[in-house]
Amino acid sequence: MDNGSSVLAHLERLETQVSRSHKQSEELQSVQAQEGALGTKIHKLRRLRDELRAAVRHRRASVKACIANVEPNQTVEINEQEALEEKLENVKAILQAYHFTGLSGKLTSRGVCVCISTAFEGNLLDSYFVDLVIQKPLRIHHHSVPVFIPLEEIAAKYLQTNIQHFLFSLCEYLNAYSGRKYQADRLQSDFAALLTGPLQRNPLCNLLSFTYKLDPGGQSFPFCARLLYKDLTATLPTDVTVTCQGVEVLSTSWEEQRASHETLFCTKPLHQVFASFTRKGEKLDMSLVS
Amino acid sequence: MDETIAEFIKRTILKIPMNELTTILKAWDFLSENQLQTVNFRQRKESVVQHLIHLCEEKHASISDAAQLDIIYMQFHQHQKVWDVFQMSKGPGEDVDLFDMKQFKNSFKKILQRALKNVTVSFRETEENAVWIRIAWGTQYTKPNQYKPTYVVYYSQTPYAFTSSSMLRRNTPLLGQALTIASKHHQIVKMDLRSRYLDSLKAIVFKQYNQTFETHNSTTPLQERSLGLDINMDSRIIHENIVEKERVQRITQETFGDYPQPQLEFAQYKLETKFKSGLNGSILAEREEPLRCLIKFSSPHLLEALKSLAPAGIADAPLSPLLTCIPNKRMNYFKIRDK
Repeated sequence: MDNGSSVLAHLERLETQVSRSHKQSEELQSVQAQEGALGTKIHKLRRLRDELRAAVRHRRASVKACIANVEPNQTVEINEQEALEEKLENVKAILQAYHFTGLSGKLTSRGVCVCISTAFEGNLLDSYFVDLVIQKPLRIHHHSVPVFIPLEEIAAKYLQTNIQHFLFSLCEYLNAYSGRKYQADRLQSDFAALLTGPLQRNPLCNLLSFTYKLDPGGQSFPFCARLLYKDLTATLPTDVTVTCQGVEVLSTSWEEQRASHETLFCTKPLHQVFASFTRKGEKLDMSLVS
Repeated sequence: MDETIAEFIKRTILKIPMNELTTILKAWDFLSENQLQTVNFRQRKESVVQHLIHLCEEKHASISDAAQLDIIYMQFHQHQKVWDVFQMSKGPGEDVDLFDMKQFKNSFKKILQRALKNVTVSFRETEENAVWIRIAWGTQYTKPNQYKPTYVVYYSQTPYAFTSSSMLRRNTPLLGQALTIASKHHQIVKMDLRSRYLDSLKAIVFKQYNQTFETHNSTTPLQERSLGLDINMDSRIIHENIVEKERVQRITQETFGDYPQPQLEFAQYKLETKFKSGLNGSILAEREEPLRCLIKFSSPHLLEALKSLAPAGIADAPLSPLLTCIPNKRMNYFKIRDK
């Protein structure tokens, strides 16, 4: 009785054991298979990784080699070009700056174009041009010198024999004219308050005639000044006459003033003389106040 | 106000075109702002003129005021006259020119008034260092004729004066004398240069027609301007004689430059030369006496016309130096004789 079931049960037990162990072995097999597959995958990936690494290394090396070959030449070219451009700019700037020396020039297709830049008391004034044709005889093609400067005379004297002297002489005349004009312009613009009438002047600014008062609102008689610049290469007058308008005989103090003014006009530029007048005037005012 | 003065002012104002009237009246500066504001310039011209004459009467206009108005009119209408050019010279070793405008005016007037008792002399200074002089001529016995004055434009401290060609030729020597003495020169000579365009005459005489100069400061490079020829129009068009065209352009540019030419209306050549002919045995070639003949070139703008001759293919380049020397020699009247 018990023996039959127990045998069956035993057999059942054995069967399940077998199936269980089969299952286990199956599982084990599949796991093993999976393991195997993963293993190969790992190998593949490792191989790929190594290949890529090698490729990267190769690339880097070749790029380095490229740079090593190309870079030195290119940088040299760029540097040369920059250096040349810099030099060119420098030279251009120096040529332009020659302007400030007062006498500069530029070669033209037929000769040279000379530029005379005038100045007075450190102020740069007008520039004048003379375009020369280098032929025998040397001649002036065109120019911007004012019509009342004796260019024809100076050219007749020096142009053919001594061009340096021609340019130097022309520079003298033009600078002196510019300086005289500057003084006359400053007088008209800055010291109009002291003038009692319009400034009489001529194109060369070598004859100036004006009336002025030291105290514009005051009762004193105006002075008349007449400045002659007989030397066209000078910026100071050669002859100065100062008279007192409307008074026959001057008192001693007025006579002293008149004479001192004459001396001042002979020795100092016009606008500086008037500047000293205004300073004196201020001093006088101060003394009145105190 | 004298009737003759009124009539003269009236005729002067009538000559002025309406669009210039206010400008000229302002430059005249004789009628005040208030007076001018009372005038209705939109009326018919005759009414405007009548009103203006009335205002001049109120202010007692004199002949010298009228003369000033006439000068201003002439300054605005310079081209209505033909202008001659006179050149003065000093003796050698002369003193420096200390030009005094007052002295000049007084001296000039005195010389004319001493010679002809009746003469009206008026002066008007301009900003370009020039003085306009108007002279109405009379005689010992007749009053000055205000309707036929001579105008002189004198550039002080230069030897040059420009005068309107006058019908009254007999006064020219006296005018020359007055000008010479008053400006402290010794001699005066008429140049062979004449034109209606005072500005152009001035540019030629003072050699100021070309004011472009090459400097290192110029940022724009000198470009060759093609004289109206568009050679690079279409690359499919090839100019057969492009070398010749470029040669002509180059020569024209060298001769005439890139600047605007001064304006002249004519050039006159008086030939007194023997007839030259390639054919031997022609009757004219056997003549001993020179042939006299006058050739005159006329144009609204002669020098520009000459400049365009070679590029247009009408003349060979280079042009005859007789034509191209006009601005350089400051002449447009030539006498050509056999050397």
